[in-house]
Amino acid sequence: MLELRKITKTFGQTIAVNNVSLNFPPGQMVGIIGRSGAGKSTLLRLINRLATTGQGDILFENTNIGTLAGRDLRAWRARCAMIFQQFNLVNRLDVLTNVLIGRIGTAKTLPVMFKHFSAQDRAAAALALDRLDLLPQALQRADTLSGGQQQRVAIARALIQNPSLILADEPIASLDPRNARFVMEALRKINQEDRITVICNLHTLDAARAYCDRIVGMAQGKVVFDGSPDTLTRQAVQSIYGDAGDADVEESLTSTLGAHLPIPAAAKQPQLADAAY
Amino acid sequence: MTTAISADRLKALQQAHPQVFTRPLAARLRDWGLWAACFALLGFGLWWINASPTRIWDGLGKLGFLVRFMWPPSDGGVFWEHAYAMMETLAMAFLGTVVAAVVALPLGFLGAKNVVPNWLFHFSLRRGFDTLRGIDSLVWALIFVSAVGMGPFAGVLAIAVSDVMVFSKLFAEAIENVERKQIEGVRSAGASPVQTLRLGVFPQVFPVMLSHLLYFFEGNVRSATILGIVGAGGIGLQLSDRIRINNWDEAAFIILMILVTVAVIDNLSRRIRTKLIDAAPQV
Ligand SMILES: Nc1ncnc2c1ncn2[C@@H]1O[C@H](COP(=O)(O)OP(=O)(O)OP(=O)(O)O)[C@@H](O)[C@H]1O
Ligand SMILES: [Mg+2]
Repeated sequence: MLELRKITKTFGQTIAVNNVSLNFPPGQMVGIIGRSGAGKSTLLRLINRLATTGQGDILFENTNIGTLAGRDLRAWRARCAMIFQQFNLVNRLDVLTNVLIGRIGTAKTLPVMFKHFSAQDRAAAALALDRLDLLPQALQRADTLSGGQQQRVAIARALIQNPSLILADEPIASLDPRNARFVMEALRKINQEDRITVICNLHTLDAARAYCDRIVGMAQGKVVFDGSPDTLTRQAVQSIYGDAGDADVEESLTSTLGAHLPIPAAAKQPQLADAAY
Repeated sequence: MTTAISADRLKALQQAHPQVFTRPLAARLRDWGLWAACFALLGFGLWWINASPTRIWDGLGKLGFLVRFMWPPSDGGVFWEHAYAMMETLAMAFLGTVVAAVVALPLGFLGAKNVVPNWLFHFSLRRGFDTLRGIDSLVWALIFVSAVGMGPFAGVLAIAVSDVMVFSKLFAEAIENVERKQIEGVRSAGASPVQTLRLGVFPQVFPVMLSHLLYFFEGNVRSATILGIVGAGGIGLQLSDRIRINNWDEAAFIILMILVTVAVIDNLSRRIRTKLIDAAPQV
């Protein structure tokens, strides 16, 4: 279980995250929404410790995450897998090696220097790729894949980290609606089948409503909403998106998913979706 | 279509913005001064080295004489000896370049700001690269021929030592230009700094390094022939021998051989380099 206690993070004059306290029970799928600059990315990067700690405590199963260093810190990063808007794959490595990077936290340094991974690791990578329908592309260079496929490689990488927690920073913001749906489906499935907590920054309301158990709204670094999707009223939305709200808050305008399409039917056919991409 | 601007308007504009119409006197004087200084320097230089049309004319006469001796080029019956010497020169260039690149690899990583973010260290290392870069491979060859004796080994050392610093600097720059996102992806999975360099940085910079290596190999084939002349073996040694004993037809043959080899190498290497960026082997 992950607990954030009054965390604050400033960059110079900007308060990116302002006194945030949140509790994430295991197995939840949480969507974090808010305007650009609300501090969503910073929050996730604080949890994964890609950003240096500010004030406050981050506790995971009673370990203080903020003070971890060296090997412990790396082990923690491996435990809370991160997925990025721009996929952040190593372009010039093949898909398989990109997925194997997920095992880097437990691998010894010398074999990694020669890109040598154990048969166990390779098997895990193959299984993860198969789960995301990407096994045929395993030996292709990562930058030859479509955006949707690349994001699924990133999810496969996250999976073989055996994470307790997956942090996804706008995983679908660079994708077209079909691929966006497929990626969200994949995350939801992993969340439900593997009981992995997923915390997902989302630009759009409809994605958050469609896939998340719980929605956290942020504005100017603060948490201004925390509840289930059906308690996210129009007023709540306005408090999150502020004045820019009004017209913008029309859900269809904040949509990446093509809100009016039936979601599951299209998502069941990944190959078709990708062929169209 | 442009409409003419009335004289009054023009005058007003000229008064309001004189700098649009004529450049300030100081700027014009400075430009003329610079040009005059350049020409003065050129004239002085020519006078200094006793350049004169008659000397050029005399020289041309002698040159024509030599060219007549050179024709027809002849391999002197020892073609394979020349070919072997040519191979020796190529090997010298290749080994020198590769050794330089291998030594420069760790130096490049150390010299990159994003790997060692200590500015003092960074600054002193880079200045070190720059300083040693000032010594040409020919100078190194003279030194190494004295130190380890005549022959290609001295040439390899000369090329390697003179290129290490340039490579280090170029590698460091390539490493500083890597894409941060890809590295962050590796780091977020729990990679140690060394692992991050290996799997996040190295694959990005490897094609750039390989391309630099090939480019330098091209240049080093040319330098290696010169290095032969000062005693580092290979085709250059053959050439200087022939010139010393006035065997101009054989000298001409060797020069042609060098020209052809250099052209072939340049061409191959350029083709490989252009393909490289897309189709680099995965590392
Ligand atoms: N490394 C940094 N250096 C300086 N300021 C930063 C840094 N990272 C974030 N900020 C600032 O912190 C604030 C929050 O940024 P953050 O990226 O967390 O927002 P976000 O909610 O993810 O926005 P977006 O939806 O555009 O991704 C912004 O004002 C941003 O400019
Ligand atoms: Mg963000």
